[in-house]
Amino acid sequence: MLAMRHISKVYRTELIETHALRDFSLDVASGEFVAVTGPSGSGKTTFLNVAGLLETFDTGSYALDGVDVNDLSDDARSRLRNEKIGFIFQSFNLIPDLDIFDNVDVPLRYRRMKAAERKERITSALDIVGLGSRAHHMPSQLSGGQQQRVAIARAIAGDPKFLLADEPTGNLDSLMARQVMDLLEQINEMGTTIVLVTHDPELARRAHRNVQVIDGQVSDYKPYEARNVPVAATAIA
Amino acid sequence: MVMSDIRPVLSALLRNRTGAILVSLQVAIALAVLVNAIYIVKQRVDLIGRPTGMDVANMFTVVSSGFTQDHDRLATARNDLAWLRAQPGVVAATRTNAIPLSGGGSSTTIGSQPDTPNDKNVAINYFEVDEGGLETFGVKLAAGRNFRAEEIMPPDPNSTKAPPTAIITKSVARALFGSEDAVGKVVYDSLNRPTTIVGVIDHMHGSWVTWDKVDQVALLPVTPSFGGDNLYIVRTAPGLRDETLRKVEEYLSTSDSTRMIRGVRPLEYYRDRSYLSDRNMAIFLVSITALLAGVTALGIFALATFNVSIRTRQIGTRRAIGARRADIVRYFLVENWLVTTGGVLLGVALAFGVGYWLSTQYELPRLDLYYLLAGVLLLWALGQAAAWQPSRRAARISPSVATRTV
Ligand SMILES: Nc1ncnc2c1ncn2[C@@H]1O[C@H](COP(=O)(O)OP(=O)(O)OP(=O)(O)O)[C@@H](O)[C@H]1O
Ligand SMILES: [Mg+2]
Repeated sequence: MLAMRHISKVYRTELIETHALRDFSLDVASGEFVAVTGPSGSGKTTFLNVAGLLETFDTGSYALDGVDVNDLSDDARSRLRNEKIGFIFQSFNLIPDLDIFDNVDVPLRYRRMKAAERKERITSALDIVGLGSRAHHMPSQLSGGQQQRVAIARAIAGDPKFLLADEPTGNLDSLMARQVMDLLEQINEMGTTIVLVTHDPELARRAHRNVQVIDGQVSDYKPYEARNVPVAATAIA
Repeated sequence: MVMSDIRPVLSALLRNRTGAILVSLQVAIALAVLVNAIYIVKQRVDLIGRPTGMDVANMFTVVSSGFTQDHDRLATARNDLAWLRAQPGVVAATRTNAIPLSGGGSSTTIGSQPDTPNDKNVAINYFEVDEGGLETFGVKLAAGRNFRAEEIMPPDPNSTKAPPTAIITKSVARALFGSEDAVGKVVYDSLNRPTTIVGVIDHMHGSWVTWDKVDQVALLPVTPSFGGDNLYIVRTAPGLRDETLRKVEEYLSTSDSTRMIRGVRPLEYYRDRSYLSDRNMAIFLVSITALLAGVTALGIFALATFNVSIRTRQIGTRRAIGARRADIVRYFLVENWLVTTGGVLLGVALAFGVGYWLSTQYELPRLDLYYLLAGVLLLWALGQAAAWQPSRRAARISPSVATRTV
């Protein structure tokens, strides 16, 4: 699903160069649920941004679902994000001026989907996250946990292969965090590959596999073939 | 852009409407003022640009003022005109009593019958000229003939005799005789003295440009007799006016010590002076309109810039979940178009209101629909142009903003 090899990413400001990722390599198999942990500033978000095509990288190679993303145009990257990737953000990032229905509709519109199909997908995504009855509420009328569930509905409405979440429970209390985690597990069970960045060891433990990022690198990276646990088997379990 | 794509933009816009309403109002006012101002300017420009029938660009005036006891006005005029007409570059010259387009001149009334009732009389603005008058003004004779040298009457300060002949403009001919041929017809002054029409001029403007009968002009074969001055009008070959004017002023100023030369000016000077208020009005309105358009564009630009800046995270999120740069540009252009269109709709109503009010207050013709249409298109274009840069800036916001902004 995701194959990163020797990725490096440097942020340059006038004063300093930050090597956010260096020689970063990681494989994620289709159907996997991977939790990424690591100290603050270690490069987790940078990894997620590169993986989600939100940022480019300096050297190395990256194939997403078999597509080498190195030389893709900005429009092609937008399209890949739209069709293959769902994003869940720490602060939900719902559009405050649109109601729940229209929020979930946003990525589907960018896909030029017909109105009838969009409606069907929005309704079913909202049903999955348990907010079918709130379609015409505004985001500000929902609790944090509910807002994050709307964001999850928005992320899965387009039926992506790949879900990326950066501390999705960071702004939630533990009960709501667990609800969100339940939902992610449920989505993963339906076949969506998930990469979750989290600080919470309890949540990380619920993933199939934990990856620790330290100082811009995966601390115990082994090429996919060398690992003893067959990932596909884990995913199906 | 289909209607369904506009709906979410509109509903988001309606949730943040204060700025949008203010800018819409600005657009509305701009449209109303712009359309009416341009319409008025157009009328002024048309007025200033009306054909005068004369070769205005190549004419100039000279005034000879005698100031000594022994100054002989008639002899001076004879000498001056003979000299003027002999100059290379001079097409024609004449003595006359008034300067066309200058705001000063003489008028009287004539009728097609003796004892014509007052309301049937026709007002004419007359110029006393010699046989060179027709060619000096550069007007076209549509019928009949020019004056003969022997027809020119000597000075007659008390108007004891009416001129035997006259040349009138078509406009006067129509007022007097309708569609009949005026040449050979006799007209009568207020004392029932007859004058025979010998020629009809196609078109000529007289002295007062604001007069609705500015083209009711007559040329009379009379030697002017007012004051102590000789007024000459000279017409030169194209392009030689300024050169000839300098030469004439230089020579006439020294040729005769019993008079002084003044008022050596292009005819354009008098025309421009007469239309000064129209021109100033046009310039004023154009400036106001440009200013208003500029301020409106600035308002639109400011609103778009503000909307982009408060939505940085939203834009990053939209990019992250699949918007292309073009989608972001389009979002803001559509939003701006909605704001402009709201203003334009209100503005159309307002423009009609202002136009109607102006037409009743100042007897202006009612607003032309084409101007309104042009104004609407202009404001739409202005709005899109003003929103272009902020929209482009929005499109450059990185999708990583979605994860990096808390
Ligand atoms: N836009 C940027 N410009 C410069 N440096 C940056 C930028 N974004 C991130 N960095 C730096 O890159 C390094 C990795 O940052 P990153 O956000 O990936 O860390 P993180 O593991 O997500 O941390 P946290 O757990 O606090 O979210 C940090 O040192 C950070 O300061
Ligand atoms: Mg982070």
